[in-house]
Amino acid sequence: MPNSRTALQQTRIVDLSDDKSIYGVKLLSDMGADTVRPEISSGDLLRQRGPFDENSGESLWYTFFASSRRHFTVDENSSASLYELNALLRCADLCFLGKENALAEKVNLDAARSRNPKLVVVDVSPFGSAGPWRDFKAPDLVASALGGSSGVTGDHYTPPLKLFGELNFMISGAYAATAALAGLNHVRESGEGQRIEVPVHECIASSLEHVFMWYFHHAQFPNARAPALERRGSLHWTNLYVVMPTKNGEMMVTPTPNMEAQLAWLVEEGAFQDLLDPKYEEPENRRQYFTRLMEVLREWVATEDSEELFRKAQEHHAPYGWVQTVAEVAKNPQLEARSWWDSLRLGDRNLPSPGVPFQFSDTPGSVVESEWIETNGSSVLENIGWEA
Amino acid sequence: MRPLNGIRILDFTHVLAGPFCTRVLADMGADVVKVNSTVRAAANNAPNSPYYAIWNRNKRALALNMSDDEAKDVAKSLANQADVVIDNFSIGVLDRWGVGFDEVSKTNDQVIYVQMSGMGAGGPWSDFVTYAPTIHALAGLTYTTGVPDGGPIGVGFSYNDHQAGLHAAVAILSAIEARRQTGIGQRIDLAQFEVGVAMIGVSLLDYFANGKVAQPCGNRPPYDKFAPHGCYACRPEGDDILDERWLAIVCRDEDEWQALCHVMGNPDWCRSEAFKTMDARCENAESLDSHINSWTKARDATTLMYALQEKGVPAGNVQPGIDLAESDPQLKAREFIRFMEEPHPGLGVTFADRLPIYFEKTPCDTYERSRTLGEDNVSVLADWLGMSEQEVRSGEENGHFT
Repeated sequence: MPNSRTALQQTRIVDLSDDKSIYGVKLLSDMGADTVRPEISSGDLLRQRGPFDENSGESLWYTFFASSRRHFTVDENSSASLYELNALLRCADLCFLGKENALAEKVNLDAARSRNPKLVVVDVSPFGSAGPWRDFKAPDLVASALGGSSGVTGDHYTPPLKLFGELNFMISGAYAATAALAGLNHVRESGEGQRIEVPVHECIASSLEHVFMWYFHHAQFPNARAPALERRGSLHWTNLYVVMPTKNGEMMVTPTPNMEAQLAWLVEEGAFQDLLDPKYEEPENRRQYFTRLMEVLREWVATEDSEELFRKAQEHHAPYGWVQTVAEVAKNPQLEARSWWDSLRLGDRNLPSPGVPFQFSDTPGSVVESEWIETNGSSVLENIGWEA
Repeated sequence: MRPLNGIRILDFTHVLAGPFCTRVLADMGADVVKVNSTVRAAANNAPNSPYYAIWNRNKRALALNMSDDEAKDVAKSLANQADVVIDNFSIGVLDRWGVGFDEVSKTNDQVIYVQMSGMGAGGPWSDFVTYAPTIHALAGLTYTTGVPDGGPIGVGFSYNDHQAGLHAAVAILSAIEARRQTGIGQRIDLAQFEVGVAMIGVSLLDYFANGKVAQPCGNRPPYDKFAPHGCYACRPEGDDILDERWLAIVCRDEDEWQALCHVMGNPDWCRSEAFKTMDARCENAESLDSHINSWTKARDATTLMYALQEKGVPAGNVQPGIDLAESDPQLKAREFIRFMEEPHPGLGVTFADRLPIYFEKTPCDTYERSRTLGEDNVSVLADWLGMSEQEVRSGEENGHFT
């Protein structure tokens, strides 16, 4: 059920997304949109995605990505049931489509848009509807390879690496949500709905930070030896952020944004070695200085306790990052203090759930349990309370 | 006509996360006024930096010397005209400048005020300084992206800055929709750290439900049973790491597996018990990868990709930036990379990677170069505040708009 007084409480969504945009629908649903996600009679294929709750057997992947929605079954072989599915689109503001959703091809979008000209359809696919690769299959790893995120992730001793979990499709999901709301804004201003296409390949390619800059402007970077950067472990393209081992863990260390303050801190710690040598003040030796600074930092960091080093770094306004496991993130004091966690019921247990990643002062969102609607042969529209 | 025409955004953001948010909104037609100053225009915040140029296209540039009281008054007047005020400073900076939410909302109750700080307002880490690599480390992204027993590697670019920017765009557009219902704006507190943590949401649920701590797993799927699922070395084009060529191959079901075997010429090993079922292939994934590597290592990655895709096997080259920029036929066909018509005064010809959103009725195909410091002082202050050119020039001479 929609939350009370939420940002998107007047927004109705028919969710026929697949894994490439389900995160975008989650963002809108957690902000209170009234979202229904119909499923084929054998159940949503995404319910088969692991991991699973070892008590209830439910998919935790699905619990996370399909939160805050109402679900019901559509008999894909029944014309009456499909009629009802199409009738939903006459009452909806937004429809998300993914071609790996078993019901996506069962809706008659032309008819729906003709009867509901305000409908915004967001179609998220690997490559969009045009271009030589439009029919290519691209699950996450392949999307990551072609889109460029694998090309800069990994180390010289590893293959190019996929980002963990669903990070690539969470980018296309976030773009899809943005597109939907922009389309909705246009509807509110003009009354005109439309179809919007979001290709995953371009979403990934547009979110690679330095990659295109390096290609087009590498001549301006003194450490550039080619128009592309190799995969280089945790070392950032600036060479000034890298993970270093501490006495008892790992720390992402950087002397930025204030190199002088970093040097002063090393002096305070008695760990500055030769960094005060006047030769480093000469402009021609600055690159050598940065290299030496990172070496000195590495030696010093290796002698420090992670927690203590992180605390001291932040006291010195140095943006070090303590490398945390999922278990450590789960116990993070900042998330606790900001009451970030929501709660979800799974089987017979209440479990903490990641909360909404933005806090609204007046219309806050929250992650709520999805609800199953039993239609029992009666009208879906009637059951969910939608009217055109 | 673009979908966000008419929305005014006063943009105090810098570096990547905030500018990426406002770039996306500007691409879709919002009137984004990027505030900068002579004092702050350094490093990646300098308009002649390529980094700045990429994230600040399609915006107008206003220079305001925020140490000057008159400039602060102008900033306040601009905030009164804005639909959205956004910053990604640490908490409190805009309050000190007199354009914090409490001050602005007294005179503009429609304003949507977005603070994209690293850690959010409140809590013991509220004042912590962060960049994307900091967030990656703290949120578990650095730990989980890597290979077993290989130490933390993490994402090879500032992923979370892009995600924080997109999440801020979603938040802003949600708040604009809410404003239609409530009649008033509101404050949005977006902690970039919380965006990062949301990215490992599934693993957190696995931890809470099952007590399992996600571990780096290379290119294998962390939770699903798919094999093969990896990047395989193909024929290199030279000896440098940049000359390596890799091909990602994934088989999610029996059809894809059989098609892969067919393209490989149905070698005997494909029919062995070790690879007969998906369960068996997952159990023997290392040996399976070794067989596939033997097949790919002397072959051309692109040729294999087309051969596999033609038979329905998901496969894709690992594309470095050069491929994306020069030879990716899909990006070429979609005109993904464009060059700005007007040269940048400091950088010459600059490029735009297009917004990856195709609107049927409100296409977003306008790309204008990023602007130099204060280049749009006259047009912004005329459009938003009705100031004359003479007033603006006088303010520039007096150091207010610099």
